[in-house]
Amino acid sequence: MHPRHDAHVVIVGGGATGGGLAHDLALRGLRVTLLERGEVTSGTSGRHHGLLHSGARYAVGDREAGVECIRENMILKRIAPGTFECNDGLFVAVCDEDLEYLEPLIEGCTGAGIPVQRLDAAETLRLEPNLNPELKLAVRVPDATVDPMRLILRFFATARHNGADIRPYMEVIGLLAHDGVVTGAAVHDHVTGKEGEIHADLVVNAAGPWSEKVAAMAGAQVPMTPSPGVLLALRGRYCNMVINRMHKSGDGDIVVPQRGLSIIGTTSWVVEDPDDLSVPEDHVERMYTEGSKLIPALRHSERRAAWSAARPLVGSAGAATGRELSRTFQTFDHAEKDGIEGFVTITGGKATTLRGMAELCADVVCRKLGIDEPCHTHETVLLPHTAYYSEAVAA
Amino acid sequence: MIEEKPSPGGAVMTQTGQDETRRFRVYRYKRGDGDEHFDEFDVPVGPHTTVLDALRWIKQHKDPSLALRFSCLHASCGTCGMQVDGREALGCVCSVQDHGPEIRVEPLANLPVLTDLVVEMNGFFARFPHEHPIIRSSGAPAEGENGKVHLESGHEVTLDLPSPVPPLHHHPLHHDHRAATPAVDFVRLEDCIECGLCLSACPVAATSHDYVGPAALAAAERLLEEPRGVKREDVLAWASRPEGVWRCHVGLECTRACPAEAIPAERIMALRRELTFGGPDDEEGKR
Amino acid sequence: MSATNELPGSAEREQPGPIHHKGPGPSESGWLDPRGRGHGGRALALHRVTGLVIVFYLYLHLGVLSMLLIGSSAWSSFLSVVTAKSFLAFEVVLIAAVLFHGLNGIRVAFVGSGIAVTRERALFWAGTVIGTVAVIFAALHILGALS
Repeated sequence: MHPRHDAHVVIVGGGATGGGLAHDLALRGLRVTLLERGEVTSGTSGRHHGLLHSGARYAVGDREAGVECIRENMILKRIAPGTFECNDGLFVAVCDEDLEYLEPLIEGCTGAGIPVQRLDAAETLRLEPNLNPELKLAVRVPDATVDPMRLILRFFATARHNGADIRPYMEVIGLLAHDGVVTGAAVHDHVTGKEGEIHADLVVNAAGPWSEKVAAMAGAQVPMTPSPGVLLALRGRYCNMVINRMHKSGDGDIVVPQRGLSIIGTTSWVVEDPDDLSVPEDHVERMYTEGSKLIPALRHSERRAAWSAARPLVGSAGAATGRELSRTFQTFDHAEKDGIEGFVTITGGKATTLRGMAELCADVVCRKLGIDEPCHTHETVLLPHTAYYSEAVAA
Repeated sequence: MIEEKPSPGGAVMTQTGQDETRRFRVYRYKRGDGDEHFDEFDVPVGPHTTVLDALRWIKQHKDPSLALRFSCLHASCGTCGMQVDGREALGCVCSVQDHGPEIRVEPLANLPVLTDLVVEMNGFFARFPHEHPIIRSSGAPAEGENGKVHLESGHEVTLDLPSPVPPLHHHPLHHDHRAATPAVDFVRLEDCIECGLCLSACPVAATSHDYVGPAALAAAERLLEEPRGVKREDVLAWASRPEGVWRCHVGLECTRACPAEAIPAERIMALRRELTFGGPDDEEGKR
Repeated sequence: MSATNELPGSAEREQPGPIHHKGPGPSESGWLDPRGRGHGGRALALHRVTGLVIVFYLYLHLGVLSMLLIGSSAWSSFLSVVTAKSFLAFEVVLIAAVLFHGLNGIRVAFVGSGIAVTRERALFWAGTVIGTVAVIFAALHILGALS
């Protein structure tokens, strides 16, 4: 498919946000160039544990977020078939205290339209024999497991095949502006070491936790609080379903099966620089402890990897752990916000809502460019992830 | 809630203190001038530092022009394949403690280099059979200590059987595993993470750019194990081409290099067994 | 297919890149270099080398047999060379090569047809033991300790 509009949009950032947006805009017929300083999904997007949210985790505190999640969950399963382990998930109560969360959970999910099913201990252990034998009961929800990178690659593959120019190893080192209008980007190509410029009708900042840095290149303000968390991968596949702890969001409240590994997540703190993330050993120990309350065998499982990823939280000052800030996403039209034309930022959000985020941002982009094209991403089946590699990387 | 302030240090540190330094010799190549050479960097490391941690530290603090390929940081995406001291590894799970004071890092072999440690994976994926499903049936979790099964070949794998349990002669390992009927038909992602380490390690792929390679052949065998709509005769026809299964000379380097227990060598042999002795197209399973 | 070729490095990215093979030297030595390889890769390299040695020996042997056509004195002087202790040592090496190639060949034939795949290591070590014992026996016999 060739672009049918002349308008050229440059997207800065090759994560889930950038990929979703490139796909949406390419489908609407715009010319798209996406610039990513490393490999696509090498920022936060590739590092999560692989949970496709049912929304249950949010439905208790934030009904809207829950509704959004379940809607996107269903859409993604439809547009990216063969990418998810649709095994559902469990919220497991391992102690009496957990049971206090049961009714709020059921109520929250029901209110948000998230299907739930109560299971007694026997039924739960029949489904997942490696769970804590002392568990009280569980609630089944439509969580799923996904390979984070491969899902996002499907968006990139489809965008590329629809004419978008996806350029990894092309780092944006500055934004070009003239009379308060952003006109393009200055780039450094890591493949050749050369520098150059690219011109655009609109630049979209989709740089996740780096959004603040990129926005500053245009003199715009985007208050970000990068909030990392530690994840732990252990050898051994002990479950097929996603196992959540039936209590309020906290450290180590989830175990996700990733092929032959079990991923336990996560913790939360805040940093200034998303490129400088440590992996505190006490956080790793905490994952072992909390994870083995759900699946006892994890206590003695061999560590495969421990890593950190920075959540792109929108908002600033005063946040201590990051858990206080909302997980919703925001689109900033810098013409309204900072008096800078030709520049939009889309940031925040969760992996599960990448398509929905992209739709709203694409609507803003098209409106600013005076293009009238509806969104079709909710009904367009994506190409397989291998299609990303079927043309020359540079094309 | 645990202490919110993490220990100081960058991505290489999972414990406080910079006890030691290792020297990294890193392959460099930029297109344009085409000059290939090695750069040396001294990197502070800790007990859990991985080669990828060290490379990212170099990029962050010493040389931002170093191009790296990575994504998940936990051996799941398969993008950080490289050669460390001449041996294939995923950088994100390759501990510097397993290597000496000087560590040589190069890109994977048998695939064209894009820049520095990044290879172009297009050629790798082009070798695969046309059908490339990544989801298959999952059985109940594997029994055995820690969920592992010890093979006589010396490998320990975490197995779970496809469901329904296929006839033993289709399973590449002749494993008399617990044939439990799972409570529910779960699915799971295939073990293969498409990292290319097997292709890099393969001595045949070193001299033949046509050979489809272990990953592609293993993918074909998995289509025999669980067809998912693909016809058996199509798979066998694809595998028995000159650049297919018969180009393998039993080097077994692929399984040795594989970080994901996808056991490509064993799968290639299972494929060859199917082609040599035929399979059970007839009900009796006569071979 | 790019939306724009403004970006630096576009032409360079289109070009084929260098392909590395394991080990230094010409690309064909990728299989020969044993460094970084396991027992399987080394056995493969040695199998190819011994195969070449055996072929070379075969031609040599045929060439030598043609000496019989020349006459008995040529044959006798030839025999005095080849029965010297130093030459007999080469024979032991040749026997080792033939044994390795044959036994490894059996292992590859079995494993490569999908038989006894899980016992490949056992086959390798069994072959190594049998081969080593046989070579030692041959060496002792040929070099004169037993007669």
